[in-house]
Amino acid sequence: MTPVSHYDSDQPRRPVISEIANLRRYRGLLALLVRRDLTVRYKRSMLGVWWTLLNPLLTVAVMWAVFSTVFRFEIPGDVPYVVYVLSGVMLITFFSQGVVASGSSIVDSAGILSKVYVPAEVFAVAPALAALVNFGINILLLLVVQLIAGVGVPLTAWLAPVPLLFLAMFVAGLGMMVASLAVAYRDVLDIVGVLLTLAMYATPGFYPVTIIPDRFLYLVYMNPLYSYLEVFRGLIYGGSFAPGWMWAMMVITSGVALLGGAWTFSRSWRRLAVLV
Amino acid sequence: MNQPAVDCREVTLVYPLVRDRPGSFKEQVIRSLRRRVVVDELSAVSDLSLRVESGEVLGVIGDNGAGKSTLMKIMARVLPPTRGRVVVRGLVAPLIELGAGFNPELTATENVVLYGAILGRSPREMAGRADAIIDWAGLSEFADVAVRAFSSGMLARLGFSIVTDINPDVLLVDEILSVGDQSFREKSRERVGKVMGRGAATILVSHDMQMIEDLASRAIWLDRGRIRREGSPRTVIEAYTGGAG
Repeated sequence: MTPVSHYDSDQPRRPVISEIANLRRYRGLLALLVRRDLTVRYKRSMLGVWWTLLNPLLTVAVMWAVFSTVFRFEIPGDVPYVVYVLSGVMLITFFSQGVVASGSSIVDSAGILSKVYVPAEVFAVAPALAALVNFGINILLLLVVQLIAGVGVPLTAWLAPVPLLFLAMFVAGLGMMVASLAVAYRDVLDIVGVLLTLAMYATPGFYPVTIIPDRFLYLVYMNPLYSYLEVFRGLIYGGSFAPGWMWAMMVITSGVALLGGAWTFSRSWRRLAVLV
Repeated sequence: MNQPAVDCREVTLVYPLVRDRPGSFKEQVIRSLRRRVVVDELSAVSDLSLRVESGEVLGVIGDNGAGKSTLMKIMARVLPPTRGRVVVRGLVAPLIELGAGFNPELTATENVVLYGAILGRSPREMAGRADAIIDWAGLSEFADVAVRAFSSGMLARLGFSIVTDINPDVLLVDEILSVGDQSFREKSRERVGKVMGRGAATILVSHDMQMIEDLASRAIWLDRGRIRREGSPRTVIEAYTGGAG
């Protein structure tokens, strides 16, 4: 790794490009932070790192029990409700956990960032990546559930990482925007929490889209998260490809979010150290 | 290379001092509707020009609030200057506050790797140096203990050992050495000598005049964000203690 060789305060910071360069240069630190996010949480517990696996396993068990006995919706297609609900809830959970974790990262690491120079984007991206790893474990469990429930695993499931990659970009971008705002105003995180709850219910994760009245359907279609979810569901258990406009929405929103996030970050960078 | 390691040219740093700054978005909205956000400014460092050459140890003294720590943060590139220009050549290792950058739940060894990575060194490289670093700090028997349990002296030793081991070109040490005991001071003086010998520039902030006189090759006295006196440590300390006392 080449160390930061020169610092010249007059050198202009190029938005987006400098973020990417920094992430590359500090990839060692990035890997460490992701690992820390995944393990430190459980450091003082009896089962230790096994919680990383056990936690999603238990969550899935609870959801399976609840959604296969208590709540039941009729789902279009031949898919058991369990598979439908698990895929939905997992994806939405990853989304909101990722945005919250990376949104609060800068405020949380203020101690380091106000004393040592580290590109703040490394700290903002790490929690999003850690959430992605957790989501990956969840998906393996989902595949097991699919096998048990008799849905099987279609060939298209190999392509499931594609929407995940776009979702991770989406999360990282939104997270960076929230993180920049949260430095200036502490209540931003509370507002975001409310918005995420709204997103959770507004996205057909545990209910079928068919229960939405036709005149409100356009609202669901305008929700980018719905596109990610449909693309993902089609690939992971449907063995089908979602309509083209959903793919387009996914690619465009993730790109816009990531560029916007990096840009906001660059803009607010000068204020960061003074404020935290 | 004849260029100085650190070159500050007419650097000014202004903190925005918002009188009861709106801490939340809600308040900001309400206040901007009423047009009542008052912003004052505080210049922590004013028109300061300073060069530090490689192999030099610069001591910085001055009263609380004179801008010493702000100056360190400017050189550590944490705070971008409001006006003026700062050029720092090479790897900067700041040891600015006890345990900043340490994760209390991680062990000493893991923290060495983390801190090194924060300073821009690769984790693999740091893992290879960890034993030597911990050994120098006299903490070998605590290598696998979470630093949560460490005393402030132990943290200071560990931090100092890390930043002096990574071969920095510019070493910034703010105050923290004073927590060490006598034997640690002896060792750290030796170590600073070695870092200097390798051609690094060291900037040392302290209220401990003895330490400045022992370690520094040149000193400045900061007063309200400006350099009031500059020269050999002895003369600057005399001026400072005479003027202040």
